[in-house]
Amino acid sequence: MAAADSPSAALRRRDLCSRGIRLAGKMRADVVDLLDAYVEQQGLDASASVAAMEGVPLAAVERWDEQTGTQRLQENLAAYRAFRALLAQMLEEQREQLGEAEEGLGRALAAVLLQVSAFAYHLEELLRLESRGVPGEEGDAPPPPPRLSLFEQKLRGLGVLRELAQWAVRSVRDLRQLAKPSPAPGAAPGLAESP
Amino acid sequence: MFSRWNWVACGFCLVLNICSPDASAGLVQSCGHIIPESPVLALGSNFTALCILNESCLDFGNIYASQIIWKIKNRLVPKEQYREINRTVSSVTFNDTSSLATPLTCNILADGQIEQNIYGITVTVGLPPEKPKNLSCIVHQKTVLTYVMNCTWDPGRHTFLDTQFRLRYSWPEEIFPDCIPKDVNNSCSINDIQFFVNTEIWVEVTNALGKAESDPLVVDPIDIVKPLSPQNVSVSSEVMPTALKLFWENRISDAVMTLKFNIRYRIAGDTNWMEVPPEDTASPRTSFSVQGLRPYTEYVFSIRCMKEDGLGYWSDWSEEKTGITTEDKPSKGPPLWRIIDTSHSPTSWTVHLIWKALKPFEANGVILQYEVTIRDKSSLSSPVRKYNVTSTNHTLQLPEGTYEVTLIARNSAGASPPSVLLIPASNSKAPVKNLRTLPKHDKLWVGWTAPNSYVLKYVIEWCLVSSSSDCITEWQIAPGDVQGIDLKGIKPFKCYLITVYPLYADGQGSGQSVKAYLKQDRPSKGPTVQTKKVGKAEAVLTWNHLTVEEQNGFIRNYTILYKTIDGNETVVTVDPSKTEYTLSSLTSDTLYTVRMMASTDNGSRTGPDFTFTTQKFGKGEIEAIVVPVCLAFLLIVLLGILFCFNKRDLIKKHIWPIVPDPSKSNIAQWSPQVPAKHNFNSKEQMYPEGSFTDVSVVEIEADDKKSFSEQDLKPFDLLKKEKSTSEGHSSGIGGSSCMSSPRQSVSDSDEGETTQNTSSTVQYSTVVLNGYRDQTPVQVFSRSESTQPLLDSEERSEDHAGGADSAAQRQQYFRQNGGQDETNTDRPCFERTKQITHVNEGDLVGFVQLQISGQSSQPLGLGMEKITQEAALSSVLQTCTEGQTVRPETVEENPLSVDEMPKSYLPQTVRQGGYMPQ
Repeated sequence: MAAADSPSAALRRRDLCSRGIRLAGKMRADVVDLLDAYVEQQGLDASASVAAMEGVPLAAVERWDEQTGTQRLQENLAAYRAFRALLAQMLEEQREQLGEAEEGLGRALAAVLLQVSAFAYHLEELLRLESRGVPGEEGDAPPPPPRLSLFEQKLRGLGVLRELAQWAVRSVRDLRQLAKPSPAPGAAPGLAESP
Repeated sequence: MFSRWNWVACGFCLVLNICSPDASAGLVQSCGHIIPESPVLALGSNFTALCILNESCLDFGNIYASQIIWKIKNRLVPKEQYREINRTVSSVTFNDTSSLATPLTCNILADGQIEQNIYGITVTVGLPPEKPKNLSCIVHQKTVLTYVMNCTWDPGRHTFLDTQFRLRYSWPEEIFPDCIPKDVNNSCSINDIQFFVNTEIWVEVTNALGKAESDPLVVDPIDIVKPLSPQNVSVSSEVMPTALKLFWENRISDAVMTLKFNIRYRIAGDTNWMEVPPEDTASPRTSFSVQGLRPYTEYVFSIRCMKEDGLGYWSDWSEEKTGITTEDKPSKGPPLWRIIDTSHSPTSWTVHLIWKALKPFEANGVILQYEVTIRDKSSLSSPVRKYNVTSTNHTLQLPEGTYEVTLIARNSAGASPPSVLLIPASNSKAPVKNLRTLPKHDKLWVGWTAPNSYVLKYVIEWCLVSSSSDCITEWQIAPGDVQGIDLKGIKPFKCYLITVYPLYADGQGSGQSVKAYLKQDRPSKGPTVQTKKVGKAEAVLTWNHLTVEEQNGFIRNYTILYKTIDGNETVVTVDPSKTEYTLSSLTSDTLYTVRMMASTDNGSRTGPDFTFTTQKFGKGEIEAIVVPVCLAFLLIVLLGILFCFNKRDLIKKHIWPIVPDPSKSNIAQWSPQVPAKHNFNSKEQMYPEGSFTDVSVVEIEADDKKSFSEQDLKPFDLLKKEKSTSEGHSSGIGGSSCMSSPRQSVSDSDEGETTQNTSSTVQYSTVVLNGYRDQTPVQVFSRSESTQPLLDSEERSEDHAGGADSAAQRQQYFRQNGGQDETNTDRPCFERTKQITHVNEGDLVGFVQLQISGQSSQPLGLGMEKITQEAALSSVLQTCTEGQTVRPETVEENPLSVDEMPKSYLPQTVRQGGYMPQ
């Protein structure tokens, strides 16, 4: 990686990583809180399992420790852009269902949405620092979700939040990996790290 | 006619324009308008307005731009600011818009100087907005999950215009809604704040004159958080008596931020906070053990937090929580002292052991009891006595000797180190030196110079000196290495007796005492002074010392102030130890007022006034005057007696002269020259000048007195009174026989009153010539009032029989009288005689006649008589003027003519305002 070309770039990168880690941590905490509120608000069972749904990026990945930094950033960016769209749709559906009466849940959803956007911004900045091009958003845009029933919307929302929480954990690990001092050229990628 | 109609129609049109300007585009067409329409102008800029007339009005009303006048409100704009651009347009220019006001009107001055309004505009003047400065933001944590960012800025100057402020913030790819301030223009709060993203914050301000933006503030809101303070703080005791453990809950998750803390604590009741070193609490935690505390002490704790990296703000301090450390054994033994009472028996002491309760930080717990141990050092075999006491004193009887007293305080944690006091047989060791005091605010510092020997500690005793009660002693122990302590609880204006004892390892030094005041004032009253003894020129004053309660300070001196009623005040300063002072050099017989003033360092007070009068005579003065006078008087009397004794024959002859017995008279020899009528008032008539040579005194036997009637005796009663009065006026000292002679004659007359108190009484006059010591012999003149004819021969024989001296005197007397050859020596006696003779008004007539004759009014020198008898003379004069009724003779029965008056001196009456021979 060409990350540490200049001291200022290195500082900027470290700052972005640090801030991203903190943001991902807070995002996870907020999403966890939001999940509780969402389950309660939507009348769902917290232990209900949700099958993988189309359009929701999965945090689980094989050979995570073998990924390069750029690869990690790009996967994260794609995931959070997807979450941003999903959360925006959830927020719209939430307003349609409950109107302005449930401001607390809507405000929490909006806050998480903002955090997702902020994290995506962090990832884009990091990619720029890596001298990697930021992939265009339009091309990665998921296809419009099929029209779902109300219950399916609730379940999908639950699945989105659960997966976002997982992604927050993975993002923290990814950014910590990126924040480590750059290994010597030709060296193998960083060792696996427990989250 | 037509033109007049035309003008009237035009005026009507203008009025319509004025009344309904808004209708200019409607039914009624305006004659003109102003551009710009309602402008907003910057204060201080220049401004030009144009008034444009409609062409139609020009033709209809003959109105042209030259007739336009401009007005601001009702004030005419100077025509210098006008410019006629063409026949329909006029402009007005203002170099400074600050002179503008609303409305600005365009008017026409038509014919006849009638002013008509064409148009008006509203001018708004203000300032463009300034760039907001000093933008700062702080994120307040409201709840566990809620954060509010409040930003403030300096809005700049007042613009006088409607100005909108808005706080804007954004991420690089996200624009957030603006924050519009409500009711204020310098702050705004944002609720939906997101952390961990750098946020750009700035302020936009706009008004009609422009727009401005502040410098952007780029900050991650997490770095400007003021978190909520930790909650649910609790304190628990540790095993160690010097530690307490705090527990709390943080209200911000570690996911948001990690925290560091400040812990402060203080002893309950104290106001000074102590703080745990910040580096000990710089990491996230929810508990902390505070150490280094005092045992058995209640502490108050409080805690606050902030972001661990130091960015942001400290939270408020949490609520205060208290905790008490556990007990520890007392850290030191109680201060111990003793009072030894030997008044009952010198060989057996009553020892009062007294000690002070340990201070809380020394006791380290609740003192359960004190253990007192007494060991007799003079007798090793004596048993050790132990006492358990719960109070702070203990009294016991001990034989005279040397003892070691040990005191231990005990609480639940253990016993204190022992306090040891040696009770010696006598205080024979060296005392402290140079004991002194110095007030320091509300404390009294006592200082001393240590003795040469090593001192373990010092005992300082002090008590409030009172005249009415005993000295209640307080005491304090100071370490042996100090040479001064502050005494607390000392009252101002009170006298304290302070004693310092040095305690050595082997005994006790004798005490040194000093009296001191924390603060002095002037005495509360002045001394009452009085006299102990008053003399002619001195007075001994005494007073009592003021009581110690009245002194209020050290009496530095007394001042005595004394003065006479009209004199200057004299001031005398007296040593304060004295209670008596003698004032000297006083004026005798004078009233003095004296008062006394007592002075301290801080003022004086004067006592009541006291008055006394010095004596007129000094001691022994009266005796020194009276004794010599008496002695002189006695000497004179003695000399007089001796003189009389020597001259007793002569005196006897003159006092008791041999009176010829008329029964033995011989008619043949008696040939009266005048008819025998009873004109006894004027023997000069009977005996014209030169017709007789001598006068004899008739001696009448006392028995004859009884033959007179009471009426006849009355004049003699009066004479007796006069006699006594005259004697009263006599000085008795230095008086000559001349003076006494008339009285003597009265006295003689008294004895022979029968001779002088009847119409048939023969009056005789006797002149006794005598001298006192070396003075010229005094002539005594006596007069007889006898109406009996005297036999010349008998008289002569009697005179001869009386002695040659007497005859010579009488001859001298009559020779002087007859020949008017008076001398000063003779005159006093005569004059004196006249003075004691009292006459009535009738008498005065006679004397006036005498004066006319010019014979008896010849002046006589006063000579010696005037000098020696002045006092007596005045006395006699006084007597006469008081009208006493001594009338030895009456002259009014037969007043004499001038020709009949004898050429001799007659006794005259001296009365006030009357004639007095000179």
